[in-house]
Amino acid sequence: MKTLVVRGNFGGETATAGQIWNYPGAPGADGYDLMKSFEKQAKDSGAEIINGKVTGAKNNSGCFDVEVGPKTYHAKTLIFAQGAERRHLGLAREEELTAKGVHYCVTCDGPLYTGKTVAMVGGGDASVKGILDLAKYVDKLYFIVRADKLTRPEPVNLEELDKLGDKVITLYSTEVKELVGEGKLEKVILSREFDGSRELVIDGLFVEIGAKPDVFVPTSLGVALDKIGYINVDNLMQTNVPGVYAAGDTVNHFGPFKQTITAAALGAVAATSAYNYYKKHGNLCQTHWKVTSQ
Amino acid sequence: MTMENKKVKIYSTPTCVWCRATKDFLTEHNVPFEDINVASDAVAREYMFKRTGQMGVPVIEIGNDIIIGFNEERISELLGIS
Repeated sequence: MKTLVVRGNFGGETATAGQIWNYPGAPGADGYDLMKSFEKQAKDSGAEIINGKVTGAKNNSGCFDVEVGPKTYHAKTLIFAQGAERRHLGLAREEELTAKGVHYCVTCDGPLYTGKTVAMVGGGDASVKGILDLAKYVDKLYFIVRADKLTRPEPVNLEELDKLGDKVITLYSTEVKELVGEGKLEKVILSREFDGSRELVIDGLFVEIGAKPDVFVPTSLGVALDKIGYINVDNLMQTNVPGVYAAGDTVNHFGPFKQTITAAALGAVAATSAYNYYKKHGNLCQTHWKVTSQ
Repeated sequence: MTMENKKVKIYSTPTCVWCRATKDFLTEHNVPFEDINVASDAVAREYMFKRTGQMGVPVIEIGNDIIIGFNEERISELLGIS
């Protein structure tokens, strides 16, 4: 059996997560190094990895034709593990001000705000982890939370957040309604007053409000989604399309509990299921993966 | 200036994954580069902002060309990496 991995971005969310404390056997591992290790192990096990984005897939009588740029790969079974894309606020001027004061990657751009005042929009665990990272650099931090309390972050991260004391001011039941600035972000307009004003002057705004799965290709193949838009799978990671599996953040099998360890578990199950399918039904398709250029 | 001796500079932050990926890529292809930490170098940070109009890293300067973000294809094209 040959395995081809079409890699969009190296390492996914884990690579940008900084230190990982909840992956067994690697306490405090650097996410980037951990993903490098994953990739090396996959290559050493015989997987071929190419860079590219899958732009289309067709079910061709037991074979799957997968388009990656100008090339088409033919495979006997597919696993979708393309993860999820960071959600944006959906505000006017957000795109224009991205990387000009509006950011979605703390580990990348957080250090640029050394000594500055920034805000984080969020409420989940990733946003609290982002604040813990940002606090190493910035002077002051506003945590803008739509809910009236924090219920989703992991307790250990909430404890660390408490230790930051007055450096972090949490604005509950508050949303960002408008982004203001010429050439770069200068302030945001809040949904309610803070300190007598709805204007909050900041140097940078970081957004960690979850992610949505990228399901364009699987749905074009007829793969069904669940009620909230993730790929629907059974306990063996099988989708409704025979021979097609899914794993990682593109499925919601463990609900909001999405970690590197859960993604790895889902991936292991999907890979085993795909292999079993290949053994049982591999003769439906008279090729394993091969490539044709258009 | 030939493809091979274009000066390469990376404007990066120490924790930026895509900066690391860029540096790993250049190292793997034996391309020498200057790494500029814009988290600690305020002058370089200001230069980067003025040159690109944005504050995201990495920024890769290859000769007179600028690439924002880790773009293997574009880097390879500018450096003649096959």
